[in-house]
Amino acid sequence: MLSTAMLSFISFWKAASVVLCDFGSSAYYAGGIAMKAFGPAFPWFILGVMLFSGLMLGVYTESCIMFVRGGVYVVVREAMGKVMAKFSVSALVFDYALTGPISSVTAGLYLGGLLSNILPLLHINWHVPSRAFAVIFAILVTAYFWRENIRGIEESADNNFKIIAFVAVVAVLLLGWSGLTLYQRGFVLPPFTPVFSEEALGWTVHFPWLKAVGLIGIVMAFGHSILALSGLETLAQVYREIEDPKVLNLKKAVVSIFIFSVLFTGLLTFISALIIPPDLVAGKYAENLLSGLALELNGPYWSRLGMQVLVVLSGVLMLVGAVNTSFVGANGVLNRVAEDGILHDWFRHLHKKYGTTHRIVNIIAVIQIVIILVSGGDIFLLGEAYAFGVLASMSFNTMSMVILRFKRREEEREWMFPLNIPYNNAYIPVGLMLVLVVLLSATGMNLLTKKVATIGGLAFTAVFYAIFYVSEKLNEKKAQLYQPDDDSDEKMNLRREADIQTVVPELTKARRVLVPVRNPNNLVHLASVLETADDDTTDIIVLSAKIAKGIQSGGETMADEDKEVFSAVVLLAEKYGKTVKPIFVFSNDPFYSMAQVAQAAGADEIVMGVSGSTGAEIQLERLAMAWGMLKKPGEAGKPVLAKVVWEGRQMTFQLS
Amino acid sequence: MIRQSDGVSLSAVITPENVVFIEGTPSKEEAVRQLTERMLARVSGVISRKALFDRVAEVEKLNQVLESGFYIPHAKFPELDAFYGVLGVVPQGFTDPATGLKVKALILLLSPHKPAFFQRHLNMLSLLSQTFQPELIEKLAVLKDPAAAAALVTGK
Repeated sequence: MLSTAMLSFISFWKAASVVLCDFGSSAYYAGGIAMKAFGPAFPWFILGVMLFSGLMLGVYTESCIMFVRGGVYVVVREAMGKVMAKFSVSALVFDYALTGPISSVTAGLYLGGLLSNILPLLHINWHVPSRAFAVIFAILVTAYFWRENIRGIEESADNNFKIIAFVAVVAVLLLGWSGLTLYQRGFVLPPFTPVFSEEALGWTVHFPWLKAVGLIGIVMAFGHSILALSGLETLAQVYREIEDPKVLNLKKAVVSIFIFSVLFTGLLTFISALIIPPDLVAGKYAENLLSGLALELNGPYWSRLGMQVLVVLSGVLMLVGAVNTSFVGANGVLNRVAEDGILHDWFRHLHKKYGTTHRIVNIIAVIQIVIILVSGGDIFLLGEAYAFGVLASMSFNTMSMVILRFKRREEEREWMFPLNIPYNNAYIPVGLMLVLVVLLSATGMNLLTKKVATIGGLAFTAVFYAIFYVSEKLNEKKAQLYQPDDDSDEKMNLRREADIQTVVPELTKARRVLVPVRNPNNLVHLASVLETADDDTTDIIVLSAKIAKGIQSGGETMADEDKEVFSAVVLLAEKYGKTVKPIFVFSNDPFYSMAQVAQAAGADEIVMGVSGSTGAEIQLERLAMAWGMLKKPGEAGKPVLAKVVWEGRQMTFQLS
Repeated sequence: MIRQSDGVSLSAVITPENVVFIEGTPSKEEAVRQLTERMLARVSGVISRKALFDRVAEVEKLNQVLESGFYIPHAKFPELDAFYGVLGVVPQGFTDPATGLKVKALILLLSPHKPAFFQRHLNMLSLLSQTFQPELIEKLAVLKDPAAAAALVTGK
């Protein structure tokens, strides 16, 4: 009887697609919201924010490389401790709580706008009440993903990739057609000076010295546009799934995200302002700017309507994907903090049928639906509140990265955010500090200008912080002590098989390496295999054999220490971005299991770690005896290399 | 380093002179002791009695009875330049206290403790465990003649 799981990794373009489904979706609403806040200068600032995203992507690249299983919670915890980590994650949950509503409402508004144009052509005389329609649509979408996440259906990177590919095609069409229109019509660049609405000035009207002009005006406008940056946390969450070579693929994904975002969100928003008359941007198309762009292009109405259909279809797909991301992201981050003992076990109760953390999903869904209802489909109200969580999590993350440059100065970094001055065994992160100054300026300004965000965000953060605080105290009473990086609750898609032969057909690569593991703290040999093996041509089978004496009933289950070994294996595989096939068996002789699995799988190599109790030679002797015992007398069999690897050394012999 | 995949032959190790039939139901230690006594006669020129018995007793703690019921107590000596084996046949068998397995055949194997021999040492262990399967052990257990036992094992 054995247990096995599949651990697979995704390419950089699929990882980029997952991030872009969240990160790129703001293209559909950021421009309209910014226009309402500070007028026709909005395209400059949206473009500026998208260029700034390159710097933020750089910050997240450094943090992702440092923490394979990172995200703002882990990064802040390591840099500033658990109190600040709780604050940061509370703000992040607020971000997720708004990502769903703003995305689903926007999708509803785009769909409503399209129906308003199409229904008259079908002689259906129904005026679509856009906001009411958007609210109903948003609730339906939220309810759908509520159900899907209760059932535990995973996000598929393949689907994200298809959506982004379709969106890219639509974007290219839109850019090309827009270019032609601009060529035919000519254009006037939008003004650079922001003109703030009374609402957008917030509490600053009470500070006469705080004039919305010059640099302060720019920071204010930047703060109102920063919501276009939502989705960076998704990069941190998806990094663990990126395939080998991990760092290189992360960089490729980041560059892809940046280029797509600048062209899609930044450039299309800018072009919208060049093509759509300002009064229509502020009025008719304020809630569905890219639909407006499609409809205002040069060409016959039917073709423009066709373009709108494509825009709406791409938008709905992308925005609806962002709703799911908000569920998955919030559930994931809350589970992560729960593993650290700062969320009461009540929240982690597993669904009887589906085994999902249904209470967390229920809470996210209820919060999102309440927000949708309270907003009444007003995208500007949602946008007003939205930037709080985005800015808070980015600021916390960047500040933590600055602190970690000093706190973990000895740690070798595979990549550092540029502009560093070597000083006293550390790199003074001038570049990171400059980014932090920008973020803190925008955060400070937003606290004053965005009343809804400040009140809503602080209240939400305070409530969640209180939940975390009380949970932690309750858990401490139960002596569930905090353990950094304790991943004992690793969730894997485990399945049980009666025989190794049922697993063998899943091994499809030309070369097969068997890596027996036992001690989660002694995986040097696995690391050496992961470092050198070619993932395209090599199946890495990781075997954990638990010694069980006597006759077994077959009803044994994995104990916590066995899961710990599996978790360590998964963490290491994630670090290198290479696929492994973990297999867990009960056996009264681990060497017999090794030989049996190696022979059944047709392994080319068996790579063992050195045993402190017996030593490498005895390990090889036992394996040789088990190897021979499993062969039929006189049978030649396929030779296999047997290695014992430890720090800086290895022994290699052949079993024949 | 990968050593040469040297072929090893059982006939060089198992000869009629090196087969011991052990009557009754000895303990594991007693069976190994009897084989060590026979081995001493062959290697006394290069290994002292004390060194041989001490070393065998030491490695015996680490050696395990195979699932097939075959036992290979083995030790390496730098003084040796060739493999030496003594095959023990215990018709009534003894029970290994650690595993509960019934042992009716065992071989004491001495190997040269030299890097160049380790690959051959592994090959020998593998070949022995491949050869001594339960069917062969049962056939051995009913034999009375060392020459017949050696012939059955080596196929000659």
